[in-house]
Amino acid sequence: MRSGVERRGRLEALWLVIAAGGAALGLRLAQMQILDAASYREAAERNRSQMIYQTAPRGRIYDRHGELLATSAPAFSLVFLPHRGRTGLAALAGELARQLGRDPEEILKTLQEAAREESAVTLADNLPAPVFFRLSELKALYPGVDLILEARRYYPFGRFSSHFLGYMGRMNRREWRALRSQGYRLDSRVGKLGLEKIFEGELRGRDGGLRMEVDAQGRLKRILGTLPWRPGGDLRLTLDARVQAAADEALRATGTGRGAAVAIDPRNGDLLALSSQPDFDPNALLSAAAASARVGALPEFDNAISGTYPPGSTFKPIVGLAALNERRVRPQESFYCPGSFRLGVRTFLCWEHKGHGSVSWLEGLAKSCDVYFYNAGLRAGGALIERYSRAFGLGSRVGLGGFSTERPGNLFGPQARGLAGRGWHRGDTLNLSIGQGELLVTPLQMAVVAASLANRGTVWRPRYTSRVVYADGRPDYVQGPEILGRVQADGSAWDQVQRALELAVSSGTGMGARVPGLSVAGKTGTAQNPFGEDHAWFIAYAARPGEPAAIAVAVLVENGGHGGAVAAPVARRMIEARFGRPGPFPSGGGAG
Amino acid sequence: MTLIRTSPGRAGRVDWALVAAAGGLLVIGSLAMLSAASTTPYYSSVFRTHFVALGIGAAAFTLMLAFNYQIFQDQSRALYALALVLMVVTLLFGHVSRGHRSWLRVMGFGFQPGELARMLLILVLADVLDRRARRIESLSTLLTVLAVAAPILILILRQPDLSTTLSFVPALMGMLFCAGADVPQMLAVFGCGAAAFGMPLLYTFCSARFPDAAPHSLPALVLATSKSGWAALWTILLFAAAGALAWRLATWLRLQVKPLAFVVAPLLLSASLLSGLAIYGRLKGYQRDRFVAWVAPETDVQGAAYNVIQSRIAVGSGGLWGRGLFSGTQSQLGFLPERHTDFIFAGVGEEMGFVGCSLVLGLYMLLLWRIVAAARLARDRYGYLVCAGLASMLACHLALNVGMCVGLLPVAGLPLPLVSYGGTNLVVTLGALGIVANIYARRYALL
Repeated sequence: MRSGVERRGRLEALWLVIAAGGAALGLRLAQMQILDAASYREAAERNRSQMIYQTAPRGRIYDRHGELLATSAPAFSLVFLPHRGRTGLAALAGELARQLGRDPEEILKTLQEAAREESAVTLADNLPAPVFFRLSELKALYPGVDLILEARRYYPFGRFSSHFLGYMGRMNRREWRALRSQGYRLDSRVGKLGLEKIFEGELRGRDGGLRMEVDAQGRLKRILGTLPWRPGGDLRLTLDARVQAAADEALRATGTGRGAAVAIDPRNGDLLALSSQPDFDPNALLSAAAASARVGALPEFDNAISGTYPPGSTFKPIVGLAALNERRVRPQESFYCPGSFRLGVRTFLCWEHKGHGSVSWLEGLAKSCDVYFYNAGLRAGGALIERYSRAFGLGSRVGLGGFSTERPGNLFGPQARGLAGRGWHRGDTLNLSIGQGELLVTPLQMAVVAASLANRGTVWRPRYTSRVVYADGRPDYVQGPEILGRVQADGSAWDQVQRALELAVSSGTGMGARVPGLSVAGKTGTAQNPFGEDHAWFIAYAARPGEPAAIAVAVLVENGGHGGAVAAPVARRMIEARFGRPGPFPSGGGAG
Repeated sequence: MTLIRTSPGRAGRVDWALVAAAGGLLVIGSLAMLSAASTTPYYSSVFRTHFVALGIGAAAFTLMLAFNYQIFQDQSRALYALALVLMVVTLLFGHVSRGHRSWLRVMGFGFQPGELARMLLILVLADVLDRRARRIESLSTLLTVLAVAAPILILILRQPDLSTTLSFVPALMGMLFCAGADVPQMLAVFGCGAAAFGMPLLYTFCSARFPDAAPHSLPALVLATSKSGWAALWTILLFAAAGALAWRLATWLRLQVKPLAFVVAPLLLSASLLSGLAIYGRLKGYQRDRFVAWVAPETDVQGAAYNVIQSRIAVGSGGLWGRGLFSGTQSQLGFLPERHTDFIFAGVGEEMGFVGCSLVLGLYMLLLWRIVAAARLARDRYGYLVCAGLASMLACHLALNVGMCVGLLPVAGLPLPLVSYGGTNLVVTLGALGIVANIYARRYALL
């Protein structure tokens, strides 16, 4: 028989195993309930709570005078989120049709499409309160139906600077995958263009919502509380709403209605207006109808920064400055213009076929005599003109912060040709002298050129945000001015160029931009276009007498014809708006 | 004279620590149950049944304490017959609930005879082991014990209740071990059983984790084996080759091992493999899903993993102090399944936190310690074996239930005795504790 000691040993071993098991369970409990308790608590919270989100007000956008360009307006929306449930669509459609007074077939089709594409769909918005309360009972019956109070983006001016401000839209699949981890929801809208896109992170608020308790079957138990939203940061722009509105409306009123206008403050590089036509109404893109019916091709192309055109005669001040500053031409020196210029066997025409007769510098520029500039250009040479145009920033992107679609245009000259492996001929110099040939510029670049002509050589990178004001107490972000470069020239050369530009407006081709009481200087341009009617150009700057220029503009009207007749009046309207002249002021604040 | 201990007074004979531990568990269990069941539609019925069972259980405890426990050893055959009859009657006339024919209705009371049969089997086996004390190390003892247990276990398995049957195996092993059975023999027999059962587990694991394994990788081989046929034959040949190789190695090392072992081992392995195949083929769908939910919880099979995940969330979210009775979102909102029965420990974890769980665990360890103490002090071998068997069984239930709630073990569908809702289990457990108290109280041969 076994001894009692052996027997006891076995029992103690059993007890040891039991105790070890108990200790192991205790350790596991400590790990779960003390170390990992927070994450399990979070999981339990996720289990039991369901959020009805409320889109937070997006940051407002102001112009330089505090005018509201973009804000948020409250709106109730009925949404259907198919990822929560996709059964009983027909019953839901019938119920919704009864409540909203719409066709059940149509609603069912919308619901089915949303379920198939797994994308949220807004069934109705801007609901009146009684309908809102009746519909809120449906949420408990049909999973997937949500009623939300949203802060909806609202643009008080409607069609206003639309390319620059941008618009809001639904995320596509790729954007959703990229943004879902940053707190975006399937039905969130994001900035799709312009400032809305560039400043998405700053403008976007933190969404609030209604936290509700649901049981394991998804039935609503009670409301746990509300999560307050936090508005996004406000954007203060250097834009002048009056100048912008003047530009938008004046461009729209031109013959073709297509073009671009840019205004810059030559003193500090502030962007005052950036207009591109045709434009669109960003408010229209926010309606439920626009979200469900696929929006057709938007005129998203921004002519002001992405459109490249030959500068035409607006390039002549640069040619003149090069020739005068390098002493290749004296201001008093005259050339005879018979209406054409012969180079070898080729004849180069002046736009005035009758000829200008004997013209000196001031008349040459004011009347935009091509023959004068053929002569001056040949004296200066292609390389020199190319150097000066590069100094003015042509051929490279201005670098308007965040606008990735900006194009650099094309620099034309012996060096650029050499890089391309081709030779330079004297005929090319003649073409370059009147801003034709392969030279391509954007309206934005020309506005920078106009500003540099006004301030005697400072080439600005225009800035458009003066500051970002955060709602949550973060320090404001302030953007300062930035100088891209400087055009070095003697004071006498600048004097000559500026005097000629003033003369062009007061008695030359740019008389359409004349504003009584202001000193306006400018240059017209008519760029030959192989595809159709010529493009009309006008660059200008203006100042109160005795003060430095406060605005520099570049206007382009596609296929507009003569710059002096079509583009100069647009510039005049902008200049008038800048100096507070009675002009078209946007009738904002009403229904957009 | 000084060596003779005097018997204490009547009160001193009762193990009050055991009573206190059981009482504490009952209190916590009742609170947790009331909270968990409060949201179920049959709240009042749960309430009534529980307190009636508590009364009957207290009576059973007192009754079992009242007379000398040795009468159970004398009436061993009668007890065995009772267990067999109960199980047969249940299978013939039982009431089917949730696919288990495990209920018997007598005079308006429903009870589960399987619970009682398990307890009776421990008493019977203790008698068998006591009688064979002289030949305890022989293989025949081991086989006799298995033969005695098999009819009852097979009848429980027929209900069908795999979890209860399997949970009895550790109790069986604990009793054999404490009786002094030969450990290598036990290892061989139970190892064979484990292999037979481990095979399905391995198949399930491989098919869940590596559904598209490379054709010549090990998981693919295992999967191929599970489809029986030639692959199984190859595996058996592999076992034989491994056995032969091991024999060569042993002779080379001049180890004193009987050559028979190298013939028997591959045979046993092959047999267990084939029986494993047979068992796997007979597993019910939900049982297979439970396996998968355990070995690979991220591959949700018909929501089987849902229960495990919800239970873990409930336990973990309780934190140190718990969320308060009637305030746990997991149990009150219905995320926790079986919240007043099998998963009641998760409810305790959520509403009473680490403190409550530690209290339950601590009280259980105290209870087990007192049962072990009773085994140590028992006046005879029979009492010792009964206590050892009970301790093994309770510990096994504790480990399986709590292990399931914290996600360490598969969902077994076993209650936590004294804490979970379940009338029969409560009465039988309290009765069994009465026997332990009886053994403790009569530890002095003088009585």
